[in-house]
Order: sequence, then C-alpha cells, then structure tokens
Amino acid sequence: MSTVRETIENKDIGLIDILDVILDKGVAIKADLVISIAGVDLVYLDLRVLIASVESLVQAQQGNRTINSADFDQQREALTDATGQPNKWQD
Amino acid sequence: MGDLLYLYGLIPTKETTEQSFPSFKGFDNERELYPIPVGDTTAIVCNLDSGEYSEDSIKEKINNDMQWLQEKAFHHHETVLTLSKAFTVIPLKFCTLYKNKDSLTQTVQSNQAKMESTFELLEGNEEWNLKIYCDDKILKEQVSENNPAIEAKRIEINELPKGRQFFEKKKLDKLIESELEEEKNRVSEEIHFQLKEFVLQGNVKRNWSKDVTGKDENMTWNSVYLIPKSDVEPFLEKIQQYEKEMKEMGWQFAPSGPWPAYHFSSFS
Repeated sequence: MSTVRETIENKDIGLIDILDVILDKGVAIKADLVISIAGVDLVYLDLRVLIASVESLVQAQQGNRTINSADFDQQREALTDATGQPNKWQD
Repeated sequence: MGDLLYLYGLIPTKETTEQSFPSFKGFDNERELYPIPVGDTTAIVCNLDSGEYSEDSIKEKINNDMQWLQEKAFHHHETVLTLSKAFTVIPLKFCTLYKNKDSLTQTVQSNQAKMESTFELLEGNEEWNLKIYCDDKILKEQVSENNPAIEAKRIEINELPKGRQFFEKKKLDKLIESELEEEKNRVSEEIHFQLKEFVLQGNVKRNWSKDVTGKDENMTWNSVYLIPKSDVEPFLEKIQQYEKEMKEMGWQFAPSGPWPAYHFSSFS
C-alpha cells in the first residue's frame, strides 16, 4: 500500500502552478541581469498558458492533421475576450 | 564573450560535504550544474553563453515564445525540486543571472545572515500547497434550503403579486449567492485553521479564476504550508478525510507537493 504522500507526490503539476511560484515567489536577490517580467499579472500569463494549452488540445484532437488556423484564431479570440485582456496577437 | 552564471538555488555548505553533488544538465541543456561554495552557503549554478543568453534575448523569449518559457520553466522547477529532495534549498527566482563568479560571490556574502536564518527555518520541513474547489450547485441548494433567512424571504415572496415577485426573486438570488460565498469561506477557513495543527506556517494565497484552472468548479481556497517532514503524512490524511466526508457536498481537495520552499524563503 502506498502512502497518501506517494500518491500525491507522483501527480503531474501544471505549468501555471510552476510559473506562479518561480516567477513570483522564488527568492529574488540582487542579480546582474534582471529578467523581471514586469508586473506579471497572473491573468495575462494565464491567457498565454491557455492559448498554449488550446493549441496542444487542438493538436491532440486532430491527431496528425495540421491545426486549422481559423479554428485556432477563433478560440484565441474567445479566450482573449473571456479574460478581458487586450489582444496582443495581431491577425 | 564570457559565460553568465545561472543561479538555481542556495544550499548549506555543510550538507554538500555529506554527499556528492548529483549530475544535472543545465539551462542550455548541454553544460552541467556545479556548486560554488561561498563560506557557509553553496550556490548551485550552471554556465550560459552570454552571447546567446543576453538580457534582451531572454526577455524576448519569455514574452513571445511560450514553448521556450514552458520548457525552461519546467527545467528550472524540476532542477530545484530534485535538489530540494537531497538538500535544504533556498529556491531562486526564474532567470537569476550573474556576469561572473565575483559578482555572485559578493551577493551571496552580503546575504549570508539572512540565508542562515532561512536554512534554519527550512531544514527538515517541506512546502505543500492546498487548493480547495467547490461545485457551487450542490452547496447552493443546501444554502438555499437550510438557511432560515432565505426560507422566510421565499414564503414572503410567494404572497406578493406576480409583478413584484419577479424583482424580489432577483434580490433573493443575490442573497443566496452572497450566503453561498460566505458559507464557502467559513468552511475553508475552518479547514485551514484545523490544518494549522500540523504545520509550522501557513499562508493564504489568491484564488484563481476558472479561466486559469480550467475546472468547472470554483476555487474557494488556495494556501501554502511549511510542514515538518514527519507531519506531512498525517496532514495529507486529514485532507483525505475531509475529501471523503465532504465529497458529496461538492467539495474537492487538491493538495500538491512537496514543493521547493518558494513561499517560505523570503528574504524580506
């Protein structure tokens, strides 16, 4: 019998969980190159993560077929709309 | 051009003498990680070609190349996570870079005292995250049926003329919504309070919207805990017990960990 810990430890962690901590919560000490992602807004970040996940979802659903860019654009617009963020993608 | 140093994390030097340093591929997926001891603290770094990885080119990638960000974020996290399984680690922010060893050494030296107290806090403890979700539908019915104020209001509305009922029902819906939010908060806070029995520290984080989580259920609680290793199993068993008891009411519990101590290594 595995412990509760072992069961949970082996679960996959989402990208968003990782970005949330390594961009926002990792220790910030004085560095020579400051790669600060200015005012990382989780919502903005999410939009990009979502788009990436929609992209892979579309790929998975369509098997080996190429992504239909019209479908993708449509989903992307819906997501942009849903999060109320300005559209950073130029058509 | 010379190399940059990518700093992943800091570990107590005394722990590095007890075991050999494992082999890891670095940020460029070619060169290996290695330790740089600076007194009582050891920095874990890898070299990066400064031509390829300039400040501008990294910013450009982060902002425009989602796949790159994803790959490197996973790399950073997995490296720090593996380190944290063998050592007490202060995890650094993604893309903390130094131009040379002297500069890194100076920074580490000037933060020595803070690092020591952080190592002391972290040693033998683990960071765990708990997200609680709730299917509002089931709980809403419960709140709607079992709340005396709501029930009284409903009876009152039924006796009103049809035209007024419409607006009063709208108001009632709002009342149910706010009672529902209060109930979710109350329950989550109570759980957080009970879990504190197992933990050294607990912080409450912001809830994520459904857009972020991609789940049908709303996130009602998001918290992180620093827990002594030996108390992790009872902590998780307690969460499992909540899950069993509350599942039918639409509650879901998603613990994750152990995480490198991202939330408990703050230097401020």
